[in-house]
Amino acid sequence: MTSVAQGSGTLEAIQRPRSVFQRNLNLVRELSITQFKLKYTGSALGYVWSLVKPLMLFGIMYLVFSVLLKAGVGDKNFPVQLLIAIVAWTFFTEATATAMNAVAGNGDLIRKAYFPRWILVVASTTSALLTFAINTILVLVVTYALGDLDITLRSLLVPLYYLELIVLVLGLSMLLSSLFVFFRDLGHIWEIVSLVLFYGSAVVFPYAIIRTHSIRLAELAGLNPVAQIIQDLRYSLVVSSQLNQSMATYIGALVVIPIILSVAVFVVGFLVFNKLTPKFAESL
Amino acid sequence: MSSVVEVSHLRKRFRLPLDKSTTLKYRVTHWRSSSRYRDLIALRDVSFDIPAGQFLGIAGPNGCGKSTLLKILCRIYEADSGYARVNGEFSAFLELGVGFNPELTARENIFLGGAVLGLTRAQLRDKIDEVFAFAELEDFAEQKLKNFSSGMQVRLAFSVAILAQTDLLVMDEVLAVGDASFQEKCFDTFSRYKREGKTIVLVSHDLGSLEEYCDRVLLLNHGEIIADGPAAEVTAAYHRMVAEHAVAAERDLPARLERGDPAQWGSRAVEFASVSLLDGNGQSSRRFETGGSMTLDMQLLVHRDVGDFVCGMAIRRADGLLLAGTNTFLDHVTVSSHSPGGMVTVRYTIDSLPLLAGGYLVQVSVHDASGLEIYDHADPAASFHINNMGGHVGMLEMQGRWQVGQHDDVPSSGAVRQTAG
Repeated sequence: MTSVAQGSGTLEAIQRPRSVFQRNLNLVRELSITQFKLKYTGSALGYVWSLVKPLMLFGIMYLVFSVLLKAGVGDKNFPVQLLIAIVAWTFFTEATATAMNAVAGNGDLIRKAYFPRWILVVASTTSALLTFAINTILVLVVTYALGDLDITLRSLLVPLYYLELIVLVLGLSMLLSSLFVFFRDLGHIWEIVSLVLFYGSAVVFPYAIIRTHSIRLAELAGLNPVAQIIQDLRYSLVVSSQLNQSMATYIGALVVIPIILSVAVFVVGFLVFNKLTPKFAESL
Repeated sequence: MSSVVEVSHLRKRFRLPLDKSTTLKYRVTHWRSSSRYRDLIALRDVSFDIPAGQFLGIAGPNGCGKSTLLKILCRIYEADSGYARVNGEFSAFLELGVGFNPELTARENIFLGGAVLGLTRAQLRDKIDEVFAFAELEDFAEQKLKNFSSGMQVRLAFSVAILAQTDLLVMDEVLAVGDASFQEKCFDTFSRYKREGKTIVLVSHDLGSLEEYCDRVLLLNHGEIIADGPAAEVTAAYHRMVAEHAVAAERDLPARLERGDPAQWGSRAVEFASVSLLDGNGQSSRRFETGGSMTLDMQLLVHRDVGDFVCGMAIRRADGLLLAGTNTFLDHVTVSSHSPGGMVTVRYTIDSLPLLAGGYLVQVSVHDASGLEIYDHADPAASFHINNMGGHVGMLEMQGRWQVGQHDDVPSSGAVRQTAG
């Protein structure tokens, strides 16, 4: 035909990277960046909202539990503990809630393209993790600058607690996203479970308060990984007090149970997800 | 030569639940009826190999299992038994623009769509100007996809889809997209692939393009391969199958039942010796263009002194729907013969074919002037195909005109646009 048409008439193909890991990593990155971007485009304040929301929650919870109910009386550092806990909790609840739709909400991709399906869950978690990382860094820097943090040797464990949280969230995300495809009630059930976990994990009041009422109840609550992670984060970052001790101090050797539970949830989530993966395309 | 694709005894069954049972309430209240479903067998024992460098077409009516086969090949569905193995890298275009997001810009969508294909951001960054040039979208790189026309979206999607270098390319009916000039570009790309000896699987309803590009075509029906061979042979078999189907549907007519062969019957006082379709140059053809000329050429062998008789023709869609028909009596044309053993030539010419893309069947008949005695009737006597060129949709070329007038002087309202056909 004409020379104009021929000038742009061919497009040579590119060789894909040899490493499948590199391709998968790239896809995780693109999908999570997209999700992160889409969450904040269109709104005037954009990313700021993801900081405003936990801060609002902090403000309300501080007013209700600290000021009105005097939950943190006896520990002048309780507000910092509350802030750290709320940021971690926000990550937990938002990551699991969005993961619920990671498979079911991507029917088009699943029915029309081939790639390992776990990428969708990892991308969803990574996107929530991005917000969490920025919030955590901001909160830690500001509170440290204000002299509210107590950085000691035990603070070295902080990255491990965050890692435990991520492992737990990933495991739950795989479990929830794959089951949700076949069982849509899970969305509502998980909302209720989240509410129970929110209070059961002593996010907005000192864990020790449960102990003053019932040691048995406190032990039960302490077995849940979210409570253990949040309490141990508080203990590792903020000056210890009567109301702020490590979970091991509270429940003794039983503390291995929540840690094992986090790993177990991950393993079960992984197995269930893999088992259900071949059925996704047909069921969506 | 090694096989790029090996498919062996592939079976796939879908269980379609008769009731929606994905909620807890349903499970609890209907726990006893948990096994209420209907089995749909999509593939029953399908086996074939594709040697390297072959351009394979897969044809078949809707629901024949071709999409299921493609999805198993692309590892989207899992087979119940048997296997489908692809030796090497493959790219699947089951649909254009998979992974695209309307809220993102064209550039961002290239990174996203490319990532789904397995390409990294760094690789795509080097290539991005070429992609925009190929898609003819250089000025729209930072525009959000949702503001693109569907033609622009298709151009971008196709350009991304062909970016990954692969040993096997799997395509599902992507040919019938885009405007005419871009379609030509797509066809150029396929021709280039064919020259480069790529292994390609193409699923299409468009028998014309299957015939043009494929070395070999598989015909699927009810989940089984019923024909496998050179494109021309298999498309002919497909036409036959469709025709038999249409005839079978009409068999209820008691009048038809009394006669022997339902496809061709009559007293044979006058018989069709040959029926062919000619293009504008008088050459026999089975491919025509919308708006082009087509002549139905019928050679009649006369066995009896029949006097005046009537010759008729009709065009059906591939699925049997009657589109148009006429005969010499209705059009006041006289045909007659008094010499047994003689030949009569009857031609019907359509100067501007009003049909759009698709496969069509031609039915012909000759009968006496009263219509009581059928001499010969053949359905279908010929078939032809029209390629999608202009982008118009549907079956008929309307041959209409658009008119646009602007009336800036209309009081109280600004510009009024009017369209009239």
